[in-house]
Amino acid sequence: MAIVPEFLIRKIYQKGSLKKLDNGASIVLKNVLGPGQISGFNYVKINGVVFESKDVKFITNGVEYTADDVSEENPIIFRLGQSGTLVMTGKECLAEGKNEIYIEALNPEAGIVQLKAEDVV
Amino acid sequence: MEVTFDKYSLMVDGKRIFIKSGAFHYFRTPGADMARDRFLKMKAGGYNTVDIYFNWNYHSPKQGEYDFSGIKDVRKVLQEAKKAGLFVIARPGPFINAEVNAGGLPFWLLKAEDVIPRNRIGTEYKYSPKYMEYIAEWYDQIIPIIKDFDNVILFQIENEYATDTMEEDYMRQLYKMARDRGITCPIFHNDAYFAGLWADCVDIYALDLYPYINPNQNWKEESYCFDTLDNVEDIFRCAKEDSPPFIAEMQSGWFDKWDGSGYKHIRDSLGDEHINIMTKTALSQGVTIFNHYLAVGGTNWADLACDEVYTSYEFTAPIDEFGVPQSNFYKAKEINYFLDSFDFTKTEPKDFNFSKENIYVKMRHDLNNDCDWLFLRNMNSETAEIDLPFNKTVKLKPYDMKICPINLKLKGCEIEFSDTEIFTRLQNENEEAIFFISDDNSNIYLCDGSVISGAQKDYANYTYQKDGKTTQIIFLTKKLADKSWFLGDRMIFNADYVLPNSAVAVEKNTEIAYFDLKYKFGKKSCIISEFDKNQDSEELKIDEVQFCAPEIDIDYDYSNWKKVKGKTDAFSCDIYDEFIWYKAKIPNNITEITLSARHLFAMYINGKEIINRNSYKLEKLQEVPETISVPLNEKILTKDMNELTILVQNLGFDKGFSGDTNSPRGLVFFETTPNIPVEFYVCDKLAPERSKKYESDNPYLAKITAHFDVDIKDNVFFAKYISFENFRCRRATIFLNGVKIGRYIKRRHVQEKFYLINEFLKPHNKLEIVVWEKERNVKSAWGFKSDLKNVKILLGTFKICQLFK
Repeated sequence: MAIVPEFLIRKIYQKGSLKKLDNGASIVLKNVLGPGQISGFNYVKINGVVFESKDVKFITNGVEYTADDVSEENPIIFRLGQSGTLVMTGKECLAEGKNEIYIEALNPEAGIVQLKAEDVV
Repeated sequence: MEVTFDKYSLMVDGKRIFIKSGAFHYFRTPGADMARDRFLKMKAGGYNTVDIYFNWNYHSPKQGEYDFSGIKDVRKVLQEAKKAGLFVIARPGPFINAEVNAGGLPFWLLKAEDVIPRNRIGTEYKYSPKYMEYIAEWYDQIIPIIKDFDNVILFQIENEYATDTMEEDYMRQLYKMARDRGITCPIFHNDAYFAGLWADCVDIYALDLYPYINPNQNWKEESYCFDTLDNVEDIFRCAKEDSPPFIAEMQSGWFDKWDGSGYKHIRDSLGDEHINIMTKTALSQGVTIFNHYLAVGGTNWADLACDEVYTSYEFTAPIDEFGVPQSNFYKAKEINYFLDSFDFTKTEPKDFNFSKENIYVKMRHDLNNDCDWLFLRNMNSETAEIDLPFNKTVKLKPYDMKICPINLKLKGCEIEFSDTEIFTRLQNENEEAIFFISDDNSNIYLCDGSVISGAQKDYANYTYQKDGKTTQIIFLTKKLADKSWFLGDRMIFNADYVLPNSAVAVEKNTEIAYFDLKYKFGKKSCIISEFDKNQDSEELKIDEVQFCAPEIDIDYDYSNWKKVKGKTDAFSCDIYDEFIWYKAKIPNNITEITLSARHLFAMYINGKEIINRNSYKLEKLQEVPETISVPLNEKILTKDMNELTILVQNLGFDKGFSGDTNSPRGLVFFETTPNIPVEFYVCDKLAPERSKKYESDNPYLAKITAHFDVDIKDNVFFAKYISFENFRCRRATIFLNGVKIGRYIKRRHVQEKFYLINEFLKPHNKLEIVVWEKERNVKSAWGFKSDLKNVKILLGTFKICQLFK
């Protein structure tokens, strides 16, 4: 069981932020819950297309983090009110109309944090 | 007593009250005498309220059975709170968390038919009428007791609750159940997600805040950890505009876990800076009801603990597990006394344009005292020089926070600005004495242009008069302030602590000083006579070592044990004790046994240990189940039908915050190869707990017995402990006069000192320690017994004070 209920986690996703990139997609996350840390992204799935952690980077406060940069010992500080862009590359994944997004992130205290969202481009 | 509220504060019989509360667990500090001791110390430290969880599981061993007798008499606890002059925040759950076994839900409830604990599976809401029926049973027991006490000012329903879809039925029904049973004070819930949850279902919105939950990280390097607290007024106002900002759990310490970093590390890490920042930042955000969680540490004696925590629940609380005030107590006392000095119940945020890196600044206008208060916090690792826009510079130490008055009108003078902090105030109609805490880098600026340096010696004082009224400014160094006590109409100095009746406690010969507005300073000598001042620890003589697990012996008669029908886990067997024995007969054609047990277990065949392991493991807050296969052969299975014995130690059920309270314990999986049905019989407790005859032939569990005397006197406070020195055994369970007071398990960090809980101490005491050892550590029965006879057990004293009236 996740520590934080799903409806609260969903608030982190910035509705309308889904963007098509060359060979990928990006979304924006905003921490509206409280001071937090991200110790990694297991994977991101958009419409069933899986982006492994190596294909995911997180850009926040002007710093670009890849999977190799982040760990439980070296988490990304994600402050209350802070935004970040999650960029997935290497695959086409977006569809016309509604897109289903699933993110599995890691937090040093809570473990796996799952975020489900729907958005249109 | 009528309790009302508005957007600023609570009001009791129409009078605004600032609620300075601290949490206390009566089940971890058992008995009315210990409750009285802790409550009086809380009162001495300036708390005016005690927050009490009522633990359903502690009182209800079986459905329909409730025990409120002896040390479980909560009425007596509430009477002691009332006698100490404390209000009470009552929190009877049904779920409480508190790192107690199953989060406070009774074991019988977790296995009851058609019950879905907390009306949720995972985070999915699933209403269970049967669960609600049982809550009614609990409320019918506990609320009649609570409502007999008119000092109960707030009542909480559920705790830290959320579901994905946030249906309100459950919370609304709990609210109605409390009201229907006569609760008249405001009702609240404690929102762990600070997201305004359930604000519409309760009278007052409240939340909990723990910026420091990972002892491996250094909060001083993470100024962002206070982000939520720094914005908490907005959260309150968005959630419920017309109720007072209320932090139902405000961090004053943190708990340690098995394999955690140890309480010393947590206490050193938090220091007294953390509670200072937490509390003053809360004040800067308009909070007028706070509850330091915890104010008083406790002990997980008996089977109180959830699986996450060990015996000590010291929590690095202001008053520690042993009843001894710590440095964060003195810091809390400073703030509490300050709040007694100036009515802080009605303030509004005021714009103050200032920005500097890692400096938090907030201004509030005080509608009661018609002044402003400037809150300054330095999160830099160096002393900060803060140049304020009104031509004053404040030097603030690293991780320090101050409350500075601006244009504060006193009886004999007016303070324009002060960064020397106010400790407390004594006053009557025409006269006041204001005590400040000396600080070399600070000043008091008076409106007449004069400046008093904050660099002052103890008792240095300045007198000001205006319109026939007098203000005396008196300085105390921090060292003396820690030993200074405010009793409403007088101050007492140099005491370790004081009681509301002015009795003073000292641990050595001391000259006590007094001050009141009428007689000014006076002195009195307190000469210790009631205890031996030499309190060095002494080694206990071991009187006896006995092997004590006859259950493992061949041909042990277990015919009167309970036969297992179906599953073997604790719920299925209806056995919830820490120790569960399983006995069975198995044929000699079995080649392998596969089993999983929580949390520590050993398997014996024909009286010989086959495996002994600790399967307790947590990863990312999720328990990792561990299943193991054990090969068997003819050297082990020496008979046609062989005696199988399994002993499982259950360290507690999940506390239910992030996991499920009803995750099984005991023998959770058992299978043989080839797969044959095995008929198990079960029994709980260790043999010395169950009967007087328990001597056995095998050496796996051994009991060490020692005796010691304690001099118990009414006017002496003491806290004693035992500690192990060169203790080589891996596991031990400690009994004091027959009461289980501790679990010793050798891990990365080991609890080596165990509190001899005063409630269970007698003039003549029997200490029994049951050691459960692995075969490879038992060279021979004789040798092992000899080793145990030479174990060094030290009896020591944490603190001893004599009380003088």
